[in-house]
Amino acid sequence: MLQAKASRIDAKPLPKYAARLSVGERLVQALKPSHSDTRLLRWCGLAMLALAIIFPWLAGSFYMRLAIESLLLGAVALSVDILLGYTGLLSLGQAAYFGLAAYISSLMYLHVTQSFWLVALTVSVAVAVFSFILGAIAIRASGVYFALITFGAAEILSKIAHNTRAIGGSDGMIGIPVPRIPLLPGVAIDLHSNFAFYYAVLAGLVLIYLGTRRVLNTAFGSVLCAIRDNAERVPYLGYNPFWYKLLAYVMAAQVAAFGGLIYPLLRGFVAPNLFGFEVSTKAVVVSLVGGIGTLIGPLVGSVIITFLESVVGSYTERHLFVLGLIFVVFVMFLPDGLVGLMRRLSAVRRSANA
Amino acid sequence: MEDLLTYLHLVVLPQMIDALVIGAALAIVALGLTMIFGLLDVINLAHGDLYMLGGYAAFTLIGWGAGYWGALVLVPLLVGAVGWGLEELGIRPLLPRADRAIVTLLLTFGVSLMLRDLAQVVWGTDTHSIAPPFGGMASFADVFVPTYRLFIFGVGFIAIVATWWLVYRTRVGAVLRATAVDPSMVASFGIPIRLVYGFTFMYGCGLAGLAGVLLSPIYAVFPTMGHDFLVMAFAVVIVGGMGSITGAVVAALLLSQVQGLASLWIPPVWAETLVYGLMLLVLVVRPSGLFNRIGEA
Repeated sequence: MLQAKASRIDAKPLPKYAARLSVGERLVQALKPSHSDTRLLRWCGLAMLALAIIFPWLAGSFYMRLAIESLLLGAVALSVDILLGYTGLLSLGQAAYFGLAAYISSLMYLHVTQSFWLVALTVSVAVAVFSFILGAIAIRASGVYFALITFGAAEILSKIAHNTRAIGGSDGMIGIPVPRIPLLPGVAIDLHSNFAFYYAVLAGLVLIYLGTRRVLNTAFGSVLCAIRDNAERVPYLGYNPFWYKLLAYVMAAQVAAFGGLIYPLLRGFVAPNLFGFEVSTKAVVVSLVGGIGTLIGPLVGSVIITFLESVVGSYTERHLFVLGLIFVVFVMFLPDGLVGLMRRLSAVRRSANA
Repeated sequence: MEDLLTYLHLVVLPQMIDALVIGAALAIVALGLTMIFGLLDVINLAHGDLYMLGGYAAFTLIGWGAGYWGALVLVPLLVGAVGWGLEELGIRPLLPRADRAIVTLLLTFGVSLMLRDLAQVVWGTDTHSIAPPFGGMASFADVFVPTYRLFIFGVGFIAIVATWWLVYRTRVGAVLRATAVDPSMVASFGIPIRLVYGFTFMYGCGLAGLAGVLLSPIYAVFPTMGHDFLVMAFAVVIVGGMGSITGAVVAALLLSQVQGLASLWIPPVWAETLVYGLMLLVLVVRPSGLFNRIGEA
C-alpha cells in the first residue's frame, strides 16, 4: 500500500527529450549531476567568497562574530542539502550532530585535553559511529518516516542532555576554554583574535564546501541523484540504494558536526537547545531560502537569514514570526530558492537575447 | 502481600486513572493528526499550535463572558475555521506537487512558528489560567478523582466515538475512506474532493481546539504549550500507525499509561524520554505502526 501511495506521489510527467533519446543516452541523462549550470553558481560562489574575505574590514567585531555564527549554521544547512538536495531525504534532526559535536568537544576541553586536533578527531569518529547506527535505522524507513525518525532521535538527545546532571542538565556547560590550533610546526591559530577565528572558520567551511562538491560530482553523487529522482529504478541499475543513502547520511553528519565542533569555542558554552528542533528546522529554512540541491544556496541562505534575523531582532522581538513567514513564502512561491530564482532570471535573459 | 495491594490501590490505580484522562485528550489531538495524514498525506506540524490556539481562544471567550460552556462549543468551531483557512490558502496549492508530503510539512512548520509568535503578540508571554467549570471530587473505593478530570474523559470518549461513527458508519465517512485510498476515483464519481479535504482538515483542527479547551484548566495556557503536546501526539500517531483511526486511540491510551506509570518510578522527564524511545523502537521494528491506515481493512 505504501508503495502504491509513493508511486502515486512520484508520478511526474516525463521530460520532453525522453522520447528522442536512446536507452543509453537516457541512462546518462538520468545519472547526470543536477547542477549542470555551474557557471552561474561558480560566479555566485566567487562573489560570495570575495565578499566574505573583505568582510572583516567592513564590519565590527559584533558582526564578525555574527558572521562566524552564520557560517556554522551554514555547515548544518549544507548537511541538510546533501541529504535533501542530492539524496531526497528530509532530515528534521541534523541538530543532533551539531549538538553531539558541541557536547563532546566541550566535555573533552573541560576534562580531557586542550589539543584541538585530538578533539576534532574524537568528535569525527563519535559522530561517524552514531550517524552510522542511526542512519541504518532511519534509512530503512523512507519519505516522511525518515523525517520523523531523525526528528525523534534529535528530540531524545535533547531530552537526555536536558535531564543529565553530569553534563550540566538544562543549564548546559559554561567556561569552555579556547584552544590554540597548531597548523604547521611553529604556526598556530589564536582563536582569541576575531580576525583569526573568522578566517579559520571561513577557510574550514570553504574546504568542506569544495570537498563536498567534489565528492558529489563523482559517480557516487550521480547515484545519489538517481536515488532522489527515482529510488525504485536504481536497484535495477545494479546499485543498492541503502549503502549510498547511508554513506550520504554519514557524510552529512560529519559536515554538520563541523559547526558543532566550533560553536562552543565561539560562545564559550553549550546548552541542550543546540540539539533542538529550532536548530534543525532553521537549517532546513535557510537551505530552502538559498536553494536546495545547489550546495552554495544553503550557505547564502544561512548568511542572509542570520543577518536578517539580527536586523529584525533589533526592531522587534517577533523574529520567529518573520522566520515563519519567510518559510511559508518560499515554500509556496519560490520552491527552488534564491539560487533557483537567479537561474530562472538568467534563463529569461538568455532566451530574450537569443 | 497486603502492602502490595495497598500500593497498587492507592498509588498505581490513581496514576492509571490520571493517565487515562490524559490519554483521552491525547487521543483527540492524535485523531486529527492521523485523519489529516491519512487523507491528504500532510503531516500537520501546526497541529500543536492549533491546540494552543484552542486554549487561548477559550481564555479570551471566557473573559468576554461566554462562560466555559460557551467556549467549549465555540472554540472547536473557531479553530476548525482557522484550519479550513489554512487548508484553503496554504495546503491546497501544494497538493499537486510531486513532493507534497515534504513541502506541506515545511509549510505547516512555518505556519506553526507564525502562530506561536502571533499568540505571544496577542496574549503576551505570561501563563494564563482558566478555572474549571466545576470543582469537587468523585470517589470510589477510597480513590479520589477531581470531577473535572472525569468530565474530560467523558467528553474525550464522546468525541472518539463520534469520530468513529462518522468515519465508519456514515456516508460522509464512506467518502472519507474512499478518498484515502484513491482520490481520483472518488473525484470521478462527481464528489468534490476539495470539500472532502477541506472538511477533513477542519474536523482535525477542530478536535485539536477541543482538546485545548478541555486541558487548559489543568495545564494552564502558555505560548509553547502546543510544542510539547505535539511531540507526544506524534509519538502516538507513529506508534498507532500514520493515518490509522484505531491506532491513534489505542496508542494514545497505551503511551499515556506508559508515561504515567513510568513516572512513578523514574523522574517524569525520563518517562517522557522513554515514550520517545518506544516510538523509535516501533519505527525500527514496524515503520508503518501497529494498525492499518484509514480506508484499509
